[in-house]
Amino acid sequence: MEENLNRHSKISAADLERLSKEAQDEATPSSAKIIWSEFKADKPAMVALVIVIGFILFVMIASLFINTPKMMETDIMNYNASPGTNGFLLGADTGGRSVGQQLIVGARNSIGIAIGLTVISSTFGICWGLISGYFNGYIDWGMQRVYDFMMMLPMTMMIIVLVTIIKNYNAVTLTLIFSIFYWEGTSRLIRSRTLSESEKDYVAAAKTSGTSNFKIIFKEIMPNISSLIIVDTTLSFAENIGVETGLSYLGFGLPIQTPSLGTLIANANDPNNITQYWWTWLPAALLIIVLCLSISYIGQVVRRSADASQRHGIDA
Amino acid sequence: MSLVEIKDLTVHYPIRSGFWNRITDSVKAVDGISFNIEAGETYGLVGESGSGKSTTGKSVVGLEKVTSGSIMYKGKDITKKANRKSLDYNHDVQMIFQDSLSSLNPRKRIEDIIAEPLRNFEHLDKNEEKLRVLQLLDIVGLDADALYKYPHQFSGGQRQRIGVARAVATNPKLIIADEPVSALDLSVQAQVLNFMKKIQREFGISYLFISHDLGVVRHMCNNIAIMNNGRLVEIGTKDDIYNHPMHIYTKRLLAAIPETNVNNRAEHRAKRLKVEEIYREQKDKYYDKDGLAYPLVQITPTHSVALPEDLVDQLKHEGEVQA
Repeated sequence: MEENLNRHSKISAADLERLSKEAQDEATPSSAKIIWSEFKADKPAMVALVIVIGFILFVMIASLFINTPKMMETDIMNYNASPGTNGFLLGADTGGRSVGQQLIVGARNSIGIAIGLTVISSTFGICWGLISGYFNGYIDWGMQRVYDFMMMLPMTMMIIVLVTIIKNYNAVTLTLIFSIFYWEGTSRLIRSRTLSESEKDYVAAAKTSGTSNFKIIFKEIMPNISSLIIVDTTLSFAENIGVETGLSYLGFGLPIQTPSLGTLIANANDPNNITQYWWTWLPAALLIIVLCLSISYIGQVVRRSADASQRHGIDA
Repeated sequence: MSLVEIKDLTVHYPIRSGFWNRITDSVKAVDGISFNIEAGETYGLVGESGSGKSTTGKSVVGLEKVTSGSIMYKGKDITKKANRKSLDYNHDVQMIFQDSLSSLNPRKRIEDIIAEPLRNFEHLDKNEEKLRVLQLLDIVGLDADALYKYPHQFSGGQRQRIGVARAVATNPKLIIADEPVSALDLSVQAQVLNFMKKIQREFGISYLFISHDLGVVRHMCNNIAIMNNGRLVEIGTKDDIYNHPMHIYTKRLLAAIPETNVNNRAEHRAKRLKVEEIYREQKDKYYDKDGLAYPLVQITPTHSVALPEDLVDQLKHEGEVQA
C-alpha cells in the first residue's frame, strides 16, 4: 500500500509538517472552545455558572473551618436569636444553633450527595442504556426486564425501609442507597436514542473498519448522543438535590445530628417558625431555588453548544 | 479462481406475530443467489428498490447475518464470524455507503474518520498515519486543510470522496459500493465515478457496484447481474445485458432509461409501451406461480437468464428471426 500511495500521490513525508500546520490553521474549534464562547454570548448563563461554581467552592472550603459537633450543640441562651444578634449572621434556630453555619455544612452535605448520586446513577444508567440499545435482541430483552422490575418497586418506600433497617448510615451509604433507584429514567432515555443511532450508517462503517463493539458504543455512539446526556445529567443533578432534601425533610434522610438543606427546611414544619422565625428555613429554601435555576441555565448552554444550529456564540 | 464466490446466498427476516410472538413467516430479502466476482473487475448488481441488492452487498461485507449459503474468500466461508476474524476480512473488503452524511460520524474529524481502518488493521505511528491520511485525501482530490474539519462542513460530493478515501485506506481487494452516487446530482456523480475508476486502475481494486441506475452501471461495469424480488433474473456481460436482454424484467429496466434525443420521442414512447404490454400479457410465462423468478438457465458461456427452457428456445428463435 505504501509504495502504491507514494506512486500516485504527490505528497511525501517532506510535506508532512507544512501540511499539518496548514490544516491546523483551518481546524474547526474544539468543543471546549465552543462551549466557552457560548457562555460568553449568554450573560445570564455566565452569571449562573459563576454562582454555582463559586458557591460550591465556598461551601466546600468554608465547611472545613466549621466544627460540626460543636456547632450542633444546643445553646438555650440563643433560642431563636434573630439575624444579626449575638454574632449570628443569619440568626439561630430553636436549639440556638447558628443557621448560617448549618447552611454551609448542610449545603456541602446536600450538594455532595447530589453530585455523588448524579455521577453514580447517570454513569450506570448511561452504560445500561447504551449497551441495551446497541446489542438489541436477547441482551436488550434481559436488561429491559431488569429495568421493568426496578421500576415496579416503590422507590420512596424502599429507601425509607432501607434507611430504617441500616443502623449506622452516613452521607456515603445514603448516596449508594439512592443510586440503586435513580438510574432507571436515564437508562430508558439513552436506550431509545441508542436504538435509532445504532441503525445509522456510520456504525456500519465503523464495523467494516474493524472497530470493536465496545469502542463503537463509547467512542462513536456516545459522543453523538452527548447533548441528550448533558441535558439529562444537569437536570437530574438539580433533581437529585431535591431527592436528599425531600427525604431529610420527611425525617428519613441524613441523621439528625448531620445538618442538610432538608433538615433546615424541615424547620418550616413548626407553625411558629413559619410565622415568626422565618430565618430558620427561608435561606435554605432560597438557596435550593437559586441553585436549581442556575444549573438548568448552564445545562441549556451546554446543550446549545452541542447543536450547531442553535448556537448563539458568534465565532463558533 | 474468483476473488469472491457467492453460492446460494439467502437472507430471510422472520415475521413474528400472534400472542406468543412466534415466527409465522419470513421476508425473503435474498432468496438463493449465486455469482462470482473476479479480481480487478467491476461487478454490477442492478434492481429496483427492495429487490435485495443492498442486503446482498451487506452480506458480502459481513454486516448482515446470512440465513444459509456461503460466501467464499481465500477458500474460507466468511459468513462465519470466526473466519472473518482470522482472515482480517475487512482489511481486504470495504464498503462505500449510499448516504455520505450518515456514513461519516458527525462528531469525528476527517483525520479520525479516514484513519479509523488504519488504526484497527495497520498499527502505524502517528506521523506515518497522518501522512497516509494526507495522501489519501490528495488522491480523492481534497486539500490538506480538510484534516481537522467535521463532515457537515463538506458538500455531498466531497463527503462521498471522503467515504471513498476511507474505503481504500487499507488497500482492499474488494469494495462494496452501495449506490454510491444515487444521492448526488449528475455533475458530481460523474466526478465521483471517475475517481472510483481512477482508483480502481491505480490500486487494482474490484467493485461490487450496487445501483438502480442502468446508465451509471453501463459506464462502470463489465459484468452485470439483475435482481428482482431477492432472486437473480439475468446475469451476463455488459453486451449481453444491454444488447441481448432476454428476461422481460431486464427489458423493462432498459426501457426505463431516459433518452435525450427529442426528435424520436414518439418512437421511444411506442417502444416503452410495447415492452409494458408484453409484460402485462405474458407475466405468467416469465415468473413461476408464486410470482418469483425461475432458476437460471445458461444460454451462452457468459449469459444466463431465469426462464423455463421452452421459453428460452422460443425467445432465441424470435431473436434470430428479428436479426
